[in-house]
Amino acid sequence: MPEDDRPDEAPIITTKSLRKMYGPHLALDDASLEIPRGAVGILGPNGAGKSTLFKCLLGLISTTSGEGSVLGHDIRTEGEAIRSKIGYMPEYNSLDPNLFAIDQVRYAGELLGMNSKHATQRSHEVLEYVGLKDQRYRKIETFSTGMLQATKLACALVHDPEILICDEPTNGLDQRARSFMLQTLSRTVNEGYRSVLMSSHVMDDVQELCSSIVMIHQGRIVVQRSIEDLVDQVDREIEMSIWGGASKMEEALSSVGLETRRLGRVIRVKMEDDSTIDKILVEAVNTGIQIRQMREYEPDLEDIFLLVMDKLGAEIKGTEDLMTPEHTGGD
Amino acid sequence: MSDKQIDIEGSQTRMEAAFGAGDGDDEATAIVAKRQASLGQIFEQKYRPWDGKLGPRWMRNYAIYRHHVYGIFSSKGHRQYHPMVRLMILVIFLASLTPIPMLFLSSLTGDQGGFLEKMWGINRYNLWGQILGYFPRNLCMWPLLTAIVVGGMISDDRQNGTSAIYFSRPISRIDYTAMKFLSVAVILAFVIIFSYFAYYTSAIVFRAEGWAFLADTLPMFLGGILAGFTLVFTYTSIGLALSSISQSRFFAAIGFLSIIYGTKLVSLLVELQFETTFLYAISPYDCLAHLGQFLLGLPPNYDHPLSFSVVSLISMNAISIWILVNRVTSLEVTRE
Repeated sequence: MPEDDRPDEAPIITTKSLRKMYGPHLALDDASLEIPRGAVGILGPNGAGKSTLFKCLLGLISTTSGEGSVLGHDIRTEGEAIRSKIGYMPEYNSLDPNLFAIDQVRYAGELLGMNSKHATQRSHEVLEYVGLKDQRYRKIETFSTGMLQATKLACALVHDPEILICDEPTNGLDQRARSFMLQTLSRTVNEGYRSVLMSSHVMDDVQELCSSIVMIHQGRIVVQRSIEDLVDQVDREIEMSIWGGASKMEEALSSVGLETRRLGRVIRVKMEDDSTIDKILVEAVNTGIQIRQMREYEPDLEDIFLLVMDKLGAEIKGTEDLMTPEHTGGD
Repeated sequence: MSDKQIDIEGSQTRMEAAFGAGDGDDEATAIVAKRQASLGQIFEQKYRPWDGKLGPRWMRNYAIYRHHVYGIFSSKGHRQYHPMVRLMILVIFLASLTPIPMLFLSSLTGDQGGFLEKMWGINRYNLWGQILGYFPRNLCMWPLLTAIVVGGMISDDRQNGTSAIYFSRPISRIDYTAMKFLSVAVILAFVIIFSYFAYYTSAIVFRAEGWAFLADTLPMFLGGILAGFTLVFTYTSIGLALSSISQSRFFAAIGFLSIIYGTKLVSLLVELQFETTFLYAISPYDCLAHLGQFLLGLPPNYDHPLSFSVVSLISMNAISIWILVNRVTSLEVTRE
């Protein structure tokens, strides 16, 4: 796409003090968002309010207070217009097992108002795009989890939406299917110039696809930043693998004033300045131990997620705690 | 970052065991991973934009209607009805047309005022019987037809999660409910009303009846049509309400048959025991039959006033539609 034709950089989704209550239960609390174009990850533990946020953005439920707009449409009054421009890929199965993939996608297009001919033509295109060209005329009941996810993505893409909302798109996928799904979403963002809002418990997936994240906890937006900015906030550390005396090395490093953490033969040292590496090497020589591997540790999104959850007092030791059998495909 | 957001500046990341187990004070053997084979790609993935225009509301609604109604004729590309369901609908449809050959036979034999004419000719009783006769139509045909058609109409969406396909698109719950209702009603009407219409018009054609016959019988015929539409509406609303409260086709179908046959049986037992027809007001079929007798100008078979049946019918439909609307409202797009 030529640079002039590219969409402007204005936020595609904005909300201001959005609040949603289900009876006495506060599902969304004062949520103010500005979501830019591109790929954005929506993170949060189960019950944090991600689904409620999606429903509000799709204009499916009325908000208790606050306001918001999606692609310039008011979420309180223009739900139908919003849903015409959004492709939604649900988390759980939402396909008719008795239909062929091509018919399911065509029907999904017709439900948006596409005429039958256009919907059929477009179904062929999107099924090819999601890698199901050869399975178009197979019944959905015979599909694997990866093929079901791909069909759901095709249904969401059939009308070439400006925003794609994907609820756990890599749920239950094996490594190969997961890579392909992420590659497809990435291509949709980078080549199709579409925006993707993705919720996932798999931080690696979000990190691979998204440039920024929105983190929700107990209905509140607790973080809304680019992943790069967040990574910069975390302490830089040197991680090394020690052989032949990790305890000795830990003591030696502490004695020269370096801040260390150790688990087994792995020691991490807080990077104070450029001289930290020299100090480590000197101490290794002095204590006579081997450093088999040394690298600067780059915190990933899972680290950031756990740090935020820890600060909020949520007892989550790892993102595995957030997984259900549906996420892992039962493994 | 706003003041309300979490600050993680200066934090340290989690520590994980890595580079093999152990405390680091012992020697170990390194394990070298095998290089993974490269699988390559067999097609060129390319995003193709679509610059078409989406149609208006009626196109979306027509898509729902067509998906469900065309499935009766061809399951390719439309909602799948089991072949046995389609066969049963065909059998019921053909069975509902059986008076037509008898009319033809009557016209061939010149049976004016004879047995065939009395049994199958156009009169108030036969017009009423074509829609509301208990045996065979309301015992073996219409309830069964309704049960197999409404069975999975909404329960399938609940079971398969396909409600998300509808409600994540610009389709309101009113449109969804109305189109499902219309689809069922059209299928039922196609069998029930069309066979009634075919019966009446064949009588005119076979016996070469003139304007006088038309003027004489048209009000009765229209009364029957009205009774037929009331039956279609009532059976559809009860059937869809049952379909909306479960995830099982079987439950909706059996539930519908139980309501129709169960209320009839209980009312019949009460009538036999206490010689009162009052309890027939709880039977959808009997309320319809009572109303139909009034519309066609027949003497009623029931002792209780017609208003009881009418009020009962209105209540049944109101309750069914209330349940239907409430349950459709509860259909989810996202996980709760």
